[in-house]
Amino acid sequence: MIAIPYLTALTTYFSYGLLFAFGQFRDFFRKIFDWCSANTLQGYAPICLGLEDFYIRRLYLRIQDCFGRPIASAPDAWFDVVERYSNDNNKTLKRTDKISRCLNLGSYNYLGFAAADEYCTPRVVDTLKKYSPSTCSTRVDGGTTALHLELEECVAKFVGKPAAIVFGMGYVTNSAILPVLMGKGNLIISDSLNHNSIVNGARGSGATIRVFQHNEPSHLEEVLREQIAEGQPRTHRPWKKIMVIVEGIYSMEGELCKLPEVIAVCKKYKAYTYLDEAHSIGAVGKTGRGVCELLGVDTADVDIMMGTFTKSFGSCGGYIAGSKDLIQHLKYTCPAHLYATSISPPAAQQIISSIRVILGEDGSNRGAQKLAQIRENSNFFRSELQKMGFEVLGDNDSPVMPIMLYNPAKIPAFSRECLKQNVAIVTVAFPATPLLLARARICISAAHSREDLIKALQVISRVGDLVGIKYFPAEPTKQQQEGGKTVKFD
Amino acid sequence: MAKLYVKAVPPADLNRNTDWFTYPGVWTSYILILFFSWILVLSVFGCSPGIAWTIVNLAHFAVTYDFFHWKKGTPFAEDQGIYNRLTWWEQVDNGKQLTRNRKFLTVVPLVLYLIASHTTDYQNPMFLFNTVAVIVLVVAKFPHMHKVRIFRINADK
Repeated sequence: MIAIPYLTALTTYFSYGLLFAFGQFRDFFRKIFDWCSANTLQGYAPICLGLEDFYIRRLYLRIQDCFGRPIASAPDAWFDVVERYSNDNNKTLKRTDKISRCLNLGSYNYLGFAAADEYCTPRVVDTLKKYSPSTCSTRVDGGTTALHLELEECVAKFVGKPAAIVFGMGYVTNSAILPVLMGKGNLIISDSLNHNSIVNGARGSGATIRVFQHNEPSHLEEVLREQIAEGQPRTHRPWKKIMVIVEGIYSMEGELCKLPEVIAVCKKYKAYTYLDEAHSIGAVGKTGRGVCELLGVDTADVDIMMGTFTKSFGSCGGYIAGSKDLIQHLKYTCPAHLYATSISPPAAQQIISSIRVILGEDGSNRGAQKLAQIRENSNFFRSELQKMGFEVLGDNDSPVMPIMLYNPAKIPAFSRECLKQNVAIVTVAFPATPLLLARARICISAAHSREDLIKALQVISRVGDLVGIKYFPAEPTKQQQEGGKTVKFD
Repeated sequence: MAKLYVKAVPPADLNRNTDWFTYPGVWTSYILILFFSWILVLSVFGCSPGIAWTIVNLAHFAVTYDFFHWKKGTPFAEDQGIYNRLTWWEQVDNGKQLTRNRKFLTVVPLVLYLIASHTTDYQNPMFLFNTVAVIVLVVAKFPHMHKVRIFRINADK
């Protein structure tokens, strides 16, 4: 539920309508010129329809300098952003040698493991020497080392499930698993804002897909009851299997899943649950075990738990955790296990080491400190943004913090002005988000210090005033005492 | 002046080409665009209000027929072609008929027709043009016409 000023909604539609009209106008004349030149091969169908890349050609390229910015250092609290320039209105971008030292509010570096770590990095270097940079092989061929077995056991124990399987790529964890688990005659009920990997995996499965409103357990119950009553299409026979797919933290919203309510509905109607913790594992919960720990849900109540190592653990790949029978079935049937290169041994070691730091098995309490730091940083930053009058999505304790921009013209304006002040922010727009709800998404890290956050708040406040994205009235100005120093955000 | 806030709830619709129509403010924007188009036509051509309404009605007919009932597919490659055989009208609301948005989009050409005909005193040839436009648009929006291709016109290419 997002509150939008009505006038802003109208101007946003007008802006997109204008952009669309001009794009179609140019496409119309492009068709005429192409038809006159008659370059196309006779008798050949086009490789892709012109409509399919309309968005890229006519909207995205206009502001592509705000996306995909190259960096030149590890994505720590501060990092180096490579400066680019364009001579043809952003159609092509050229890199320069110059870099900007920027405050990093865009990386999923929740626990700060993306940069060198005193415990993890030496062990990764040792693993590089002992094993190799890559196994160059699949898990069932020659790609299983002692590290892979240790990693699977470590992940299963960390997550709280009997067994786990690990893949080398996070996206594939969803898109290759769902076709194995679900097929014809089965039903997948998916949250409307699930990640594209889930959407594509569900489509590839051949199962019937139904969607329930985002984070609405009551609508989920409606859909479940309706689909169970109707049965399969045309034949109306009972479904063979029903699976409900939700995410722990929704990456574009920063919202936590209403997991206890979802589990209650699924148990009532005897549906399986699939929990995607790509963002939440390691980042939330008292000991970093994700939304099950944070929301007080027993992991035995969740049938399949998925997560990635690309965020909190500073590595790559993903995992599926579940019962021993399930994991054994996946090892026999999953193409990501049978045909894809296994996860790199140093990457596996990084995951094992970071899990040990989180659990305190490295002999210090740095893990607990990191978890407390990210929770404190997130709640501090969120409350200060809301006090300034920004519309901030998401829940408390969530390190993902979208700031609403709405108008398409404000997307590049906000991004460029923040970069001028050496604050790197990721902006997200249609079609990654709904048309009306463009936003800047801020990801808080345990590596950010209080001074970093205060500087970021000052820059965002200044740029917010300049661009006009403070849609709510600010709270009365308040003096913040920081070590005797007075800091004003408004 | 206190701002008027509206609530936006994400719909249970995965089609980026059509889910924007379920958010608040779309109907108002649609009507405002038609109204300002009328003012624009009045200013540019300097004709009578009736002729301006007729021009707006015919332009609305041409644009909406092309984009809602003729063009197929979505402008996103990530959809992998699963909507390539459907027009926008067939994609909207997941194909469910008689929804609020479909009713609104059916009423708009009717109201435009009434305004244009009334302001031109039901004179030919404007009346004929307006009548043909509204009949084509409204018939194309009937529930019975879902995925129907008369004489294979605009059939899967």
